[in-house]
Amino acid sequence: MRAPLLGAASLGVALSLAGGGSAGDGRQAASQRVELEKARGFDDYALYNAGDRVEGFPLVAVLRRSDTAEFVSFVYGDCTPADDTGCAPPIEIQVWPACRRHLGLYAAPTGVSPALEQTTVRGVPAAFLDDGTRLELQAGRSTIVVFADSRSRVARIARALRAVDGSTAVRQALPPPAPGALEGSLPC
Amino acid sequence: MARVALVVTFAALWIAEAGTPALAHLDTADRYTHRACPGIAANRSDPINLVFTTWGTWGRAESQIEAHAGWTVTSGSSQSFVDHGGCFSMHTQRASGQGSRFHVRIRGQHQDPSLGWVAAAGAHHEDLVLFPVPCGHAVDSSGPGGSGFDQARDELERRLAGAGHASYRVWWGNTQSFKQCDGDYAASDGWTVLIGLHQVNH
Repeated sequence: MRAPLLGAASLGVALSLAGGGSAGDGRQAASQRVELEKARGFDDYALYNAGDRVEGFPLVAVLRRSDTAEFVSFVYGDCTPADDTGCAPPIEIQVWPACRRHLGLYAAPTGVSPALEQTTVRGVPAAFLDDGTRLELQAGRSTIVVFADSRSRVARIARALRAVDGSTAVRQALPPPAPGALEGSLPC
Repeated sequence: MARVALVVTFAALWIAEAGTPALAHLDTADRYTHRACPGIAANRSDPINLVFTTWGTWGRAESQIEAHAGWTVTSGSSQSFVDHGGCFSMHTQRASGQGSRFHVRIRGQHQDPSLGWVAAAGAHHEDLVLFPVPCGHAVDSSGPGGSGFDQARDELERRLAGAGHASYRVWWGNTQSFKQCDGDYAASDGWTVLIGLHQVNH
């Protein structure tokens, strides 16, 4: 089944909220597309991205998952996939509701959870993972996840984050985590 | 002279032994497969969403997947896994068919003192894309059961749990999206399943 997906370039920034159809049987994706103004009005949780372009890469797609995962994703830059082999876009910013994803999830006493490098970024609790190629920030009722190819690039992207609804500008402090957001007790 | 040699030998053995516990564990520093080596962020390809434990050698994983899930097809491209700083080609792969199918790539990893023999795996369900432009296999992006990555992980967990294998989930958060050959994107939901294997092959 195909995910909600649209090319951001053709729409400025827009948000696709639903989709269906299978690539295998030849049906086209049936996406409901929501224009930027509606994306700005998305109020399940605050959305953050890095604008229309970051680190020289244009915003090329906005995705939404709402199944076993729950996030809105902003994809910057392109890559070339092959048969049977996907590829990693240069930059991705995922925004999850903090009730579904939070730093407390890594505290499971299993011995096989990833190690966190805890830090503070833009005034909020954050952690680097994957040798610095992933940064997770807890802001308000949202968890922002930045993926890129290096720690320095991830840090620069974090500095470029802004709220899609305009409530938080670039380099401004992000809103502190909502009560319970860090521990996972925040209701969805 | 002989005494000195003996001391040196014991010292070397002690250092080797003492050094082993630091290395001997499931290395979760890299939670993705790679298109090639060296394994870097730019050539990530799939999330690792399954770990076989206890008697989890790659050969047993292969055998027990075939026996319990019926995935016996061996076709598919190769990918690489990172383990303790090294990058290595996968050991094996199994799929449920040739067209739209479940598919898993497996590599035996470093033994772990708690988990035993360990094999890491990247599983997914993929469509054979023929329209509008034939491109081959593309992982499903989403659906009621999650993405193709989530569907295949859950399918293997179901099949092996149904045959008595213990399993549990850990949060790895390896949810980076991967562009597929049909232009769509697929990502894991971030949960990895650990499944215990038994010693006897089928």
